[in-house]
Amino acid sequence: MLLAYRCALASERVTATAIEANEFPQLAQELEVWAVPRIVVDGEPRWDGAVPEPEFLRRILSA
Amino acid sequence: MALLRAEEETKVREWFAALERPVELVVALKAGSVPGEAGDARPETPDAFGVPGPEETPRSGSGDVDFGTEMVRVCEGLAELGDGVACRVEDEPDGFPRFPAVSIRPEGRDVGVRYDGLPWGYELSSLVGAIVEAGRDEPTLRPESRAALEELDRDLALDVFVTPT
Repeated sequence: MLLAYRCALASERVTATAIEANEFPQLAQELEVWAVPRIVVDGEPRWDGAVPEPEFLRRILSA
Repeated sequence: MALLRAEEETKVREWFAALERPVELVVALKAGSVPGEAGDARPETPDAFGVPGPEETPRSGSGDVDFGTEMVRVCEGLAELGDGVACRVEDEPDGFPRFPAVSIRPEGRDVGVRYDGLPWGYELSSLVGAIVEAGRDEPTLRPESRAALEELDRDLALDVFVTPT
């Protein structure tokens, strides 16, 4: 989560929101959240799990 | 009930004391759930105005939790741990699609850092981490990461689903 927050703090173009899946189960179901952390980029589910910073950047920027 | 164990509180106080700039927590609650106001603060399903409120949580044993009040307790409790951290509560402010939520704002500026839902258990560390990061003058990303983000020519919305493990 912190990586996403750091990206938002580093760029005015980026926003980062943590969403507590148990409190918003309908949204979590719509986005097929079966494992956490699940990373959603521009509304599209992309991947599950933590990745190192270079890979995180590569994935979000290529989304 | 204390927000943190004694040793954790000491650590968080140290981190907050080292903030390089002030951080404001803006807690957004569903209308009528601001503590001290009339109204039922318990989680509700989307209302007639299309405002998506907190959905019913399936977590066993949490049925009596007042999410809005608990969110205020958590954020005000954190704000008490450092002079550089402030907290205010608003009733359904613009720009918040879900409630309760908290916007973490360096120097009071909304830079798009938010936590939707109550940061339970281990997830409290995500909120603490967000405050610490927002309190830095310079982002802690690697230079190459910052350079890549500077090249970004479109908006990017990152949502990270978490659970209170």
